[in-house]
Amino acid sequence: MTEIIQEHMSIYDKLNILSDAAKYDVACTSSGVDRQNDGTGMGNCQKAGICHSFSADGRCISLLKILFTNECIYDCKYCINRSSNDVVRTSFTPDEICTLTMEFYRRNYIEGLFLSSGILKSPNYTMELIYAALYKLRHECNFQGYIHVKAIPGASQELVQRVGFLADRMSVNLELPTAEGLKKLAPHKSRKNILTPMRLVQQKMQDNRQEIVLYKNAPRFVPAGQSTQMIIGATPETDYQILSVAESLYKRFELKRVFYSAFVAVNKDSALPARTDEGPPLLREHRLYQADWLLRYYRFEADELLNEKNPNFNVFLDPKCDWALKHLEYFPVEVNRADYNTLLRVPGIGCKSAARIVKARRMGILQFEDLKRMGVVLKRALYFLTCSGRMMYRTKMEEDYIMRNLLNTGEKLPDSVSGMTFRQLSLFDDMNFREAQVPEILG
Amino acid sequence: MKQVYICQDTIIGVFSAIHDAWMENRDDDSGIALRGQMMPKMFCEYTEVEENEQKSIAVERLIKKNLGYNAYWDIYHALLSDDCEKADAVYHTMLDARQIKDSKRIMEHLSNPHVARVFELSRKVGNEAHIFTEFIRFRELENGVLFSEIAPKSQVLTCIADHFTNRFPLENWIVYDQTHEIFLAHQARKKWVLVQGEALNTEAAGKISEKEGKFENLWKMFCRSISIDERGNPNLQRGHLPICYRKNMTEFN
Repeated sequence: MTEIIQEHMSIYDKLNILSDAAKYDVACTSSGVDRQNDGTGMGNCQKAGICHSFSADGRCISLLKILFTNECIYDCKYCINRSSNDVVRTSFTPDEICTLTMEFYRRNYIEGLFLSSGILKSPNYTMELIYAALYKLRHECNFQGYIHVKAIPGASQELVQRVGFLADRMSVNLELPTAEGLKKLAPHKSRKNILTPMRLVQQKMQDNRQEIVLYKNAPRFVPAGQSTQMIIGATPETDYQILSVAESLYKRFELKRVFYSAFVAVNKDSALPARTDEGPPLLREHRLYQADWLLRYYRFEADELLNEKNPNFNVFLDPKCDWALKHLEYFPVEVNRADYNTLLRVPGIGCKSAARIVKARRMGILQFEDLKRMGVVLKRALYFLTCSGRMMYRTKMEEDYIMRNLLNTGEKLPDSVSGMTFRQLSLFDDMNFREAQVPEILG
Repeated sequence: MKQVYICQDTIIGVFSAIHDAWMENRDDDSGIALRGQMMPKMFCEYTEVEENEQKSIAVERLIKKNLGYNAYWDIYHALLSDDCEKADAVYHTMLDARQIKDSKRIMEHLSNPHVARVFELSRKVGNEAHIFTEFIRFRELENGVLFSEIAPKSQVLTCIADHFTNRFPLENWIVYDQTHEIFLAHQARKKWVLVQGEALNTEAAGKISEKEGKFENLWKMFCRSISIDERGNPNLQRGHLPICYRKNMTEFN
């Protein structure tokens, strides 16, 4: 393959290429750490994070999201920068990264830097370059804003550690939910290689927490925690498998976030699903994020939401409503008596309103009007609640009845979904038809 | 007859009016109205307030002492909003605080219409201030000063001042509030100041530095290239970043 490597390219062209190549990375959050400026440099951090703009696809722009280089020795089938693709290749210099970050930050365009990279020469070589850029930014430019950096799988432990002391958040991409998928689509990466740096960052964070207790001014290691992301829809995993992987990552690796990225077909390859007119599986991604919130804030377990028999999310209902409809034996719940955990499980009640209910009912008996004022979404919650033993309206406790009513008030679904109800029946399931399945079918 | 005190729409003005109303008429029927934003009513006696800083400081101390710092925070923010009945709501909140056992918990009495109003206004201003920490865009002028123009509904400058002072301690920067014609100025290594009664020198504000155009173009291009076409969703973008804020934002010009 011929590759055009451009040594002398303007910073405009470089930024164009390297931000375009980085756009498939999902995480653009600047949250998780509070830091005041010490008066000698530029920048601070806010725990909740700050979004600075929103791009035409509706995603937030919080960080300057770029690749260090889009040259890559790996050939991952789904990636635009795979080594067998014929695209213009270029790299930033550490100086250019510093200039861009500082000048954008001064103008309040961004909250910090998100630095990822293709693999140039070797993982260690690439990680060295990233370290050089971050060191310059932190120590020469005295930048105190947010930095999110990718740990390159296969880089040495010592390098990952050094970079971790300069960054606020680190992430290692899991890429695909299962090891088989990874083998098929990213032949140069292995599950072990990806999980090793993840474990290392986790252990260093634990050590660092103890150090900080002893020495208040000890340097912070990845204070905003680590995250990861995986591609949804490139391999035939079920939602249940994906959610179980996410759950074990939260439990065993103490991740802050798992991001899901709907597969966008940028390459043509026999191992990838065929390109369709439907676009990326956005609704599936949305359902996974909803379930992800249920795992992290609502004390649900993956096994409760999905199981082997029922491995995929309901297209029409969000996971919480879906769960409630299948477990009508727990409902209706009495608002004035149910404990916090039970309230959390009611569709239409969130963490904030559940906490408000628990607080407010000490002062007096709650009515439906009070619930409304506290932020409870009654159009969903009314089927599952009683106030002093009465429901809001006469309601049948039947799955079909509630389902029909919830769908009437429900969220706006994309056209592809609402159109699906009118899809003509056909002998072949042409929705999930993949080229790779042809030999299986033909035997 | 109801006694109504008239004052300017500034913190000092409103606090002075509260001071006078509190001293003279706190047990009778009284209220506060803003000059130029009120409808004269029948059976009211109107008094112009003499505004000064001593009265304002006295009221500030009174609120902090009796209602606590958190209530002061809410009251202060409510008074920055563009609502024409804000001063009256604050005054009556203070009057009603005298009726309850623990005055410091006045902001929890959301069933009281005046308190609910103050709470609502305070949240509104707080939210708008947060939006401007996100969407303010600075441009570098010839003399190296970072300059920004915004058109907020409320007077948010004092709410965002600490944030940017902490963020850019070594920079000289100015934020100009077009709606209220106020400047927020910060000199490197100093505290911020509010400048009122000065007109904007549009000529000086238009002279941008040499590099400025280059970085503006880089930023505009970045905003385009970071978006995934296959996921295009302008409605979602508009939900997060309403059009009214885009007027002064670099990437939308």
